[in-house]
Amino acid sequence: MNQWIAIGALGVMGVGIPIAMMVVSALLRPSVSEQGKTVVYESGEVPTGTAHVQFNIQYYMVALLFLVFDVETVLIFPWTLIYRSALEQGATLGQVLAPMLVFIGVLVVGLGWAWRNGAVEWIKSPRASRRKTERQS
Amino acid sequence: MVGAFDYAPAIVLLPFLSFLVALAGGKYLPKGGAFGGIAATAGSLVLSAWVFLTVSAGNAYNETLYTWVAGAGEETTRLTFGLLLDPLAAMMLLIVSLVALLVHVFSLGYMNDEGETGLPRYYAGLGLFTASMLGFVVADNLLMAFMFFELVGLCSYLLIGFWFRDSGPPSAAKKAFLVTRFGDYFFLVGVVAVFATFGTAKFAGEGAFPVIAEEALAGSAAEVTTFGFAPETWFTILGLLILGGVIGKSAQFPLHTWLPDAMEGPTPVSALIHAATMVAAGVYLVARMYGFYALSPTALGIIALVGGFTALFAATMGVVKREIKQVLAYSTISQYGYMMLGLGAGGYVAASFHLLTHAFFKALLFLGAGAVIIAMHHDEDMWNMGGLKERMPVTYYTFLSGSLALAGIVPFAGFWSKDEVLYEALVHGLGGSPLLLAGYAMGLVAVFFTGFYTFRMVFLTFHGEPRTEVARDPHGVRWNVKGPLVVLGILAATIGFVNMVPVQDLTGIHLEFLHDWLAHGELSALTAEHYGELLHDYAHYTSADVASYVAGAVSLALALAGAGLAHVLYNVPEPTEHTAKLGAVKDLWYNNYYQDEYQIWIATSVVLPLSRLADKFDQGVVDGVVNGVSSVSLFAGSRIRRIQTGVVSNYAALLTLGLTALLVVFGVLGGWFV
Amino acid sequence: MTPLQTQLPTWTAVAPTLLLGLTALVLLLVDSIDPDSTRPGALAGIATLGSLATLAVAGWFLLAGTGQTGSGGAIELYGGSLVVDGLSLFFTVVVASVVAMVSLASYDYLRDRTYQAEFYSLVLLAATGMSLMGSSGSLATVFISLELASLPSYALVAFLKDNRGSVEAGLKYFLVGAVSSAVLTFGISLVYAATGSLLLADVASAVGSAGDLVGIAGVGIVMIAGGFAFKTASVPFHFWAPEAYEGAPAPISAFLSSASKAAGFAVAFRVFAVGFPLDAVVPMGIDWSLLFAILAVVTMTLGNFAAATQENVKRMLAYSSVGHAGYALIGLAALSGGGPNGNVMGASMAHLLVYGFMNTGAFLFIAMVEHWEVGRTFEDYNGLATRAPAACLAMTVFMFSLAGLPPFGGFLSKYALFYEAIQGGFWWLAAVGAINSALSLFYYSRVVKAMWIEDPTGEFDLGATPVGLYAAVMVAAVGTLLLLPAFGPVVETAQSAATALFA
Repeated sequence: MNQWIAIGALGVMGVGIPIAMMVVSALLRPSVSEQGKTVVYESGEVPTGTAHVQFNIQYYMVALLFLVFDVETVLIFPWTLIYRSALEQGATLGQVLAPMLVFIGVLVVGLGWAWRNGAVEWIKSPRASRRKTERQS
Repeated sequence: MVGAFDYAPAIVLLPFLSFLVALAGGKYLPKGGAFGGIAATAGSLVLSAWVFLTVSAGNAYNETLYTWVAGAGEETTRLTFGLLLDPLAAMMLLIVSLVALLVHVFSLGYMNDEGETGLPRYYAGLGLFTASMLGFVVADNLLMAFMFFELVGLCSYLLIGFWFRDSGPPSAAKKAFLVTRFGDYFFLVGVVAVFATFGTAKFAGEGAFPVIAEEALAGSAAEVTTFGFAPETWFTILGLLILGGVIGKSAQFPLHTWLPDAMEGPTPVSALIHAATMVAAGVYLVARMYGFYALSPTALGIIALVGGFTALFAATMGVVKREIKQVLAYSTISQYGYMMLGLGAGGYVAASFHLLTHAFFKALLFLGAGAVIIAMHHDEDMWNMGGLKERMPVTYYTFLSGSLALAGIVPFAGFWSKDEVLYEALVHGLGGSPLLLAGYAMGLVAVFFTGFYTFRMVFLTFHGEPRTEVARDPHGVRWNVKGPLVVLGILAATIGFVNMVPVQDLTGIHLEFLHDWLAHGELSALTAEHYGELLHDYAHYTSADVASYVAGAVSLALALAGAGLAHVLYNVPEPTEHTAKLGAVKDLWYNNYYQDEYQIWIATSVVLPLSRLADKFDQGVVDGVVNGVSSVSLFAGSRIRRIQTGVVSNYAALLTLGLTALLVVFGVLGGWFV
Repeated sequence: MTPLQTQLPTWTAVAPTLLLGLTALVLLLVDSIDPDSTRPGALAGIATLGSLATLAVAGWFLLAGTGQTGSGGAIELYGGSLVVDGLSLFFTVVVASVVAMVSLASYDYLRDRTYQAEFYSLVLLAATGMSLMGSSGSLATVFISLELASLPSYALVAFLKDNRGSVEAGLKYFLVGAVSSAVLTFGISLVYAATGSLLLADVASAVGSAGDLVGIAGVGIVMIAGGFAFKTASVPFHFWAPEAYEGAPAPISAFLSSASKAAGFAVAFRVFAVGFPLDAVVPMGIDWSLLFAILAVVTMTLGNFAAATQENVKRMLAYSSVGHAGYALIGLAALSGGGPNGNVMGASMAHLLVYGFMNTGAFLFIAMVEHWEVGRTFEDYNGLATRAPAACLAMTVFMFSLAGLPPFGGFLSKYALFYEAIQGGFWWLAAVGAINSALSLFYYSRVVKAMWIEDPTGEFDLGATPVGLYAAVMVAAVGTLLLLPAFGPVVETAQSAATALFA
């Protein structure tokens, strides 16, 4: 017996059961069309508008910048943990500190560029503000 | 220590540079770039002389300079450029650069003073021509030699067709190109065959192909691929294939027909072609790889026979020509026939000697003819000349010196060398080779004709009374014409003294300097001494004992007889045509034995139908298949195009399916899931 | 005398890669100073200079023997995650030459466009990734460097924001790329599962004893091959290529189809030659050279057949680029345990270098034609030689060289590739390659015919000569020509670099 057969069987079952259930229920259930059934389920709330909502591009910009810092943190954390012990075990300051400085330096260049190019400025889009005023009135 | 050999590449590069300069900037230079060419060839001459002196001191040079194709690994064929400088190459370098220099100077008078247009093109051509020939001379392997050989052919095409607006020159250029190309085709096959056989095409040094061939025949080591033939047979076939190129370039029967037509080119170019470059290239090639030819008595016999036959054959045609340059053209063919005879007869030194002397006296004759042509306002018909002796004495005396050399009258250069060629043919012929004896007989008869047509030319041109107005008041020539003539005139009279074998035999004084020069050297496989051994061991040549002065006396007598006949017939105040007395033979000679006609007949009635047949095959079968393939391909292509639907989810699906298929196939094949 | 480069500290061995990255940062800094002005000359100049400096340093290292067998073998950094040897330097040279030509050409192509600094820095960042791909000694750095090369590429393909084709191509490229990255990552994880290491050297020693895990290792290896097939635009991961090359700005098409492809091969060469030695994996039933042989045949056939029916010159070149990926794959396919593997792979590397010049040149010519707004189909090219003979001559050189005709660099590189394949006993691969080359002559010569023989359909209004583009095209043409005489040393360097991998 081959242990791969078990995986294959799992796959067959995993695909087969949902399909079988859908098929069986489609055969058994009565078909009563009603508007509420086709509506998107939003945790019991009645949905407003469609699911295709356009977010302001600036949300993404901020998210991207956040990601930059996020990744930075992921790297800095372990680095701080080993920093002292590395120095104690004889690594020179340059060997321990310089790579991180270079890393942060690269990120700073990127951040500086993004800043100068207005990625962190929250510009009010004329269309969005117009819509807001329209709604208020 | 930087010596002459380190500068040797410059010998080739200088004229090439002048080619580039003339081509790029000739328009803006005085004299159409002539001075650049003169300076470059003078530089080459100086360097050649230096190389000559270095070689005289017993040095030689055989180096690969640049490998332009190398297979991976050790035991693969390499295509290289390199230099081989031995006594033969050094001598030839000197000849080529000297003649080229003089031709450049002469061109000032022939082209510039005559107000020709297109001079930059002319000087560029001369530069490239010289460079290619020099490159050919120093080539250290057969492929490099072939490449420069082809360049020489290309330059001859460009220069013969220099006046391309007239009707004659372009067609003569085409003819020269095509006929020599026909021979070169065999040469190329030969080069490839040499590579296939020996894996190298080097002329000299460790593992050079003549050396390997010798070892193969001696049965010691060295694997060669002989394609199922006995080594002797195969080497003969190789030799004959390469000989194809030689026959084309050196204008030997039956591929000599391009050379008389090549007279359409400017006369200095003719001098260059005939004396030092193109035509000499063929003979030089045989001499260069003499160690290979010496292994095959059959190839040698054929070379000797072709040479002897051509010598006689061309000499007879020269007898009836009316134009001065035509006579010279046939004399060239005839003289190169002698050289081939000499090579075939085992007279390596004799042939090289004749190559040397001929280069000077033929250059002289052509330049002299050029001077006459300038004087005659570009009329070349000898029957319109006459009596130029008093009006242009410098030209006359130098021309006479060249003519005496050509006719082989003692003590001018041609006598010594031609005599030695004939002597070699005679002794080796008597030593047991009837082929060589036949060659000798033909060569001997040709001596008579040579003497006759040479002096017929001299008498008609310079002696007697002027027969036209132009001849009475010829156009003068300047220093730039006379200078080269004088230099060459002296050389033609004296160069033969470097190798006076008959005198040595008579007096016992040591006079065969050229023998000594070629017999020894650092590269022992390239010396006349070594060739002598090869000839003896492999071609089984033995010499009969004939005194050289006896043979010399015979040929001198014949030459004098020919000259004497010319004197009787033509050295009169009002010479008349005697050719009618020859009857049918005159027509035969005048029409060059109908050589052109039969070659055209071959072209139109054999080659053309064959080509048509090949064309039918090509159009019908080959193109049919090709078209079929292409329409299938296009159909398949348009199908494949449809896979690219432009819908990215299809791509993702196909990509996943493809990967899955690969996984399944390799998983099952590799038995991963068992 | 000790060569200078052996006196330098070891980390300087990655100097070429660092230079590329540094140039990208400098470009960002320059743009940060004053984001509102474009300064096209300065930006193009910095990018070109940076890539030329990289080229110089990498070329110097390569010639001086850094990391090669002659001077102490490969230099390993960061515990073997980065390896600098002949292969990585060779491909850095390829990438840097292409980037230099592309930056030079972009000066004219980007005239009057915004976001130029971003363009150049993205190009250089991608080049950094590509250069790093050749130096990757661990599967982790393989993935990181591959992503570093890919992500800027997606943005660059979509650089023409107002052009539907460009944006669409960018999106497709991104989606297919994402799928391929997933496949690659999954493959890496499976290999890690089977061998317990990400370092190629450790993988090599462990893979032979994978025992029961052969299936996992096998699936992993095939999936890694799939990830590289995406980068090299090989079937079945090639779908992005025609669209991306056609939609992208032409200099980016040149960059992607030459440098990016070469880098994909660089990393594939190293990972497969070092990480999965044939001696060890073939007895287990994982014959990846057979896999690549199949991919090579399918890729070159599909690429060439599809190229033959295109009407659009740029798309034709895109498919021909797929076809050339097939030729280069021979370097991974014609291998066998104990065969002359280094020679085959080296020939493939040399082909990629020559390809870098001729293909970049061809795409840059397209860029020039786009700049002139002549049109995109073969018919639009009719009689172009009457107006721009020098450029058309260069294009003719590229076309004939791509088809593999003498006397151009492409002839020798293809010849060497097929020759080495035959030497390795894979004559049938060489035969398929030769047939495909013959077919390719058909569509390459269509371009030449259109330019030189056909009569122009209308008047050309070419305007001023784009100096940078012209210069870049000419550099590529001269490179293509010079690689014919210089091919001997190039192929020897490549073959010794590749042989070192198999040692």
